[in-house]
Amino acid sequence: MRIVRYLGLRLALLVPTLLGVVVLSFVLVRVLPGDPLAAFVTPSTTSEDIEKIRQRLGLDVSMWEQFTTYVGGLFRGDLGTSIQSGSPITTELSTRFGPTMELVVISVVISLLLALVLGVWSALRANRPEDHVIRVGSLVGTALPEFWLGLILIAVFYKTLHWFPAPSGRVDRGVDLTSITGAEGFDALLAGNLTALSSALAHLVLPVATIVIGISASLMRHVRASAIEILASPTWRTAQAHGVRRGALLRGYLLRGTAARLPTLVAIVLGNVLGGVVLVEYVFSWQGMGQWLLRGLLYRDYPVIQAGVLISAVVFAVAYLVADLVQALLDPRVKL
Amino acid sequence: MAPGVLTWTGAVLVAAVAILALAAPLLTSWGPEDIDPTAIRQGPSSEHLLGTDLNGMDVWSRLLHAARIDLGLAIISVAVAVAVGAAIGALTGYVGGWLDALVMRILEITQSFPTFILALAVAVVLGPGAVNLGIVVATVAVPSYARLVRTEVRTVRELGYVDAARTSGISNLAVLWRHVLPNSLTAVRVVAPLNVGWAMLALAGLSFLGFGVPVPQPEWGVMISEGTSDIVAGRWWTTVPPGLALVICVLGFSLLGEGLQERETRRRSR
Amino acid sequence: MSAGPLLDVRGLDVRIPVRDGTVHALRGVDLRVEPGEVVGLVGESGGGKSMLASAVIGMLPANAVTQGEVLFRGADVLTMTREELLHHRGHGAAMCFQHARAALEPMRQVRKQLADRLRAHRHLGGQGVHDESRRLLTEVGITDLDRVLAAFPHELSGGMAQRVMIALALACAPGLLLADEPTTGLDVTLTADVLGLLRRLATEEGRGVLLISHDIAAAALVCDRIVVLRAGEVVEMGPTRQVIDTPRDDYTRELLAAVPDIDRPLPPVDHRSTAAAPVVTLQDVHVHYRARFGRTGHHALRGVSLEVHAGTTVGIVGESGSGKTTLARMLLGLVAPSAGRASVAGTDLSRLDRASRRRLSRSVQMVFQDPLGALDPRRTVLDAITEPLIPLGLSNAERQERATAVLRRTGLDDRFLSRYPHQLSGGQAQRVGIARALVADPDLLVFDEPTSALDVTVQAQILDLIRDLAADTARAQVFVSHDLATVRSFCDRVVVVYLGEIVEEGTVAEVFESPRHAYTKSLLAAAPRLGGRLVDNPTAREETTS
Repeated sequence: MRIVRYLGLRLALLVPTLLGVVVLSFVLVRVLPGDPLAAFVTPSTTSEDIEKIRQRLGLDVSMWEQFTTYVGGLFRGDLGTSIQSGSPITTELSTRFGPTMELVVISVVISLLLALVLGVWSALRANRPEDHVIRVGSLVGTALPEFWLGLILIAVFYKTLHWFPAPSGRVDRGVDLTSITGAEGFDALLAGNLTALSSALAHLVLPVATIVIGISASLMRHVRASAIEILASPTWRTAQAHGVRRGALLRGYLLRGTAARLPTLVAIVLGNVLGGVVLVEYVFSWQGMGQWLLRGLLYRDYPVIQAGVLISAVVFAVAYLVADLVQALLDPRVKL
Repeated sequence: MAPGVLTWTGAVLVAAVAILALAAPLLTSWGPEDIDPTAIRQGPSSEHLLGTDLNGMDVWSRLLHAARIDLGLAIISVAVAVAVGAAIGALTGYVGGWLDALVMRILEITQSFPTFILALAVAVVLGPGAVNLGIVVATVAVPSYARLVRTEVRTVRELGYVDAARTSGISNLAVLWRHVLPNSLTAVRVVAPLNVGWAMLALAGLSFLGFGVPVPQPEWGVMISEGTSDIVAGRWWTTVPPGLALVICVLGFSLLGEGLQERETRRRSR
Repeated sequence: MSAGPLLDVRGLDVRIPVRDGTVHALRGVDLRVEPGEVVGLVGESGGGKSMLASAVIGMLPANAVTQGEVLFRGADVLTMTREELLHHRGHGAAMCFQHARAALEPMRQVRKQLADRLRAHRHLGGQGVHDESRRLLTEVGITDLDRVLAAFPHELSGGMAQRVMIALALACAPGLLLADEPTTGLDVTLTADVLGLLRRLATEEGRGVLLISHDIAAAALVCDRIVVLRAGEVVEMGPTRQVIDTPRDDYTRELLAAVPDIDRPLPPVDHRSTAAAPVVTLQDVHVHYRARFGRTGHHALRGVSLEVHAGTTVGIVGESGSGKTTLARMLLGLVAPSAGRASVAGTDLSRLDRASRRRLSRSVQMVFQDPLGALDPRRTVLDAITEPLIPLGLSNAERQERATAVLRRTGLDDRFLSRYPHQLSGGQAQRVGIARALVADPDLLVFDEPTSALDVTVQAQILDLIRDLAADTARAQVFVSHDLATVRSFCDRVVVVYLGEIVEEGTVAEVFESPRHAYTKSLLAAAPRLGGRLVDNPTAREETTS
């Protein structure tokens, strides 16, 4: 019950923040240098033609009117129309959102599991050689630029070893798969199409590995730190001095305590991934939101930039909300 | 690992890169933007230690000169972000009230964008160029420092010695300056070196995408971006060295931060 | 039961290698505990009590170098294998750790934590765990079983958490129970309850109990024998009465002398005039902490009237939550009165602006409860002491001169001026705190439990210093304490606060010899006395959660 009330309160608090996000993304886009109409200008276009296009795009009215139109559209679930392609943003998003989320979610889940296992293990063997290896490894992992790592992985595993397919799509050409969510692996799973599934997974391996190497390392360092803190706590000492069985000790005291500190961290990491995925999609020609946003930025496609920035902020905010809820469920001391 | 070992290894890595950057003109006869029309995409040779790129520019020379931009810009922008963030955080945290509520709301909104995406947008607004790139990175880093310092200030504000200082009759500003601020910067001292590493990755990433340092200038992200077609074709020398240089620097700062953190936790546990 | 002692420590020597040399933590300690016996292990912090306890449960630091034997039912704990230790820890000897609330796993319900122990050592399951859990909690004097079983540790009060801690230890069915400072942070009445419980566990269930305490008076209440540990060495050991009545070692005598015994005769009071204008005047003062978002506020002071004259010392006594700290903070201008008239040295406390605040800070200074916490870790002693002089605009040389003078007055020499807080002991830090309070020559000095965070022998020294300061006729002093006995030797008047009101006020002789209010009487009755012996008192009082 208190969870429901808490959720309501948090959603209410989200409103002003999201409003701020909407305003900021709108303003940010309008102060961009360059004209979105530049792309339409050819030597033969007259100023009349440009005026017409301007009107068609709704850019001829005042800033304030543009804003109210935009916000009004948001309430109807209308994010506007892309200047470049002329198709509605929501249509474009539907094919872009799935691929990105597939990449992000799979990477975060794998990283989380990896970090939890390695971090706790490393903490239990603190200051032994294997711990040092893991720690140095994790430091190197966080130091790797993902765009460079992606290139290296492509050069080694695609170009040299031919283990994985070319970084130019999300399934092999010729694989028959109808798109449902846009996340190919998930679609293949839904359709029970095994050929498509294996093809999609093969395409996922390198980009996912690129993301996982970076973020699991930083997550792991936090897991290790909190596990070490628990191992040094009076709480742990008490349980140990009372001869609690090792299984109960590890599960009920160490893992539980470590996990309870994770959710907020995962949300923060997710924010990093949402940003980093732009680079990874670029390197692997992964046609997701990142690529779409990049193109929008290049061509000053206002509605695309607005929508891209807004969606990433919403996903981030929802992730935080979920993290706080999970945290509250895991830790009874959190006041709702 | 002793904190000393970590800190020193980190410091040595960073210092080595810094020295190489400063000594760049002595270590190469080629300018970073000089074009050797006779050598385009050539492998390492005695003339070009690390070969040449697609424009016929010397990779070794560019690698060294790029360190000036990457390292220098990252350090300066983080320093600026720390100064501005600490000032905002200390003031709002100590004063509290509506000012605090307002500023925190604004910071919260900017922080509800994934950092890199915000940086991208700001970078596009400001336009390309090294100075603008530094401003971008500093801007997106300010909110986190402000909030970090604010949290610390609010903890320290309640401590016994601050109460004691208040009853001693010195002014509020003096309490803030003498006691609250120095004791609130502990966390920042640890986080800042780690963030220089993050800043380097962000700078390079933005440049890699074409939103940072413009092309002929030597910068590691730009170099990797220009070498993209090379590496797939097996010409490693244009991409691998700048990437490794980035890794070494970021690792150096991480080690430094880790060492400082360890020392701090040991100091506290005593 | 076998004929031999339950625990027999023989010539135990423990050295811990540290960076620069070794710490000789225990030096040839001998100690025995028989079944059914309560043995008190007494001494100050750093004396090796906790190290000895760790040795008994086989949890010495991994790098400890040991000599001698720790025989538990004949088996040496020091040479046990991992499996033997798992059995010994908990089932052989179980430790009740101090600061129980922090030592319980915060994310696990009491029910589960009990089950963990019952499963490990008693091989119970399901219904067995359920029944035994309830029995154990009842045994330690908990009545609302369902609530406590379902509670998380942070939902328990300090006293309740301590009982739960004992129940957890008992769930292991130990032969020997070690209780490490089980009464720190508890009120006098709760202390008596917990000690009574330990006594009963020994007498009725035949367990051995090793009570570790810095408080020799508390140990004297329930222990059969007392062992005094100092710097890792046993300096005195014997039956309780013998140790208390005829101590042979100087250190034991020192410990005993430091106990503020309530039955000791009153010191001669020199009568001072109270004719001068009062330094503190409170008339029907209320302090109401404002509520946040709809919750009811906290009414900390409810109509307090009080006068304190120059040259006198007033003791303000009450348990935690009585409002005594609020009263002290109000005198310093840190809390504003919500109603009533309050003035200190002519400054009205209800309307403080910048100028009057500055005036107030010149006339009132406070000595804080946590001496180290009141010093900025990044500033030297000189900085700390001279800070109140900054608004006075003195030259550097003058400041240093005055700092040196007050520091001497508090018994430290000027070598301390350049030290940092972490280089000071608790007692030294408190002397610095007192010097800092004295340096600007205030009209009123407020002591907020200045000795409660210190070791007993150090407490006695600081109290001596305060008694000495009380002789100054130019200054008024207010001494806040939770403990009646402490204020007795140097206060002129005593005020007892209870739930934000003054329930008793009078000269020391009046309050101690003929208390009128029931609360004062109960405080006096529960105060530690060396001659006393705790009657078994298993009926636990109801407690409320914090």
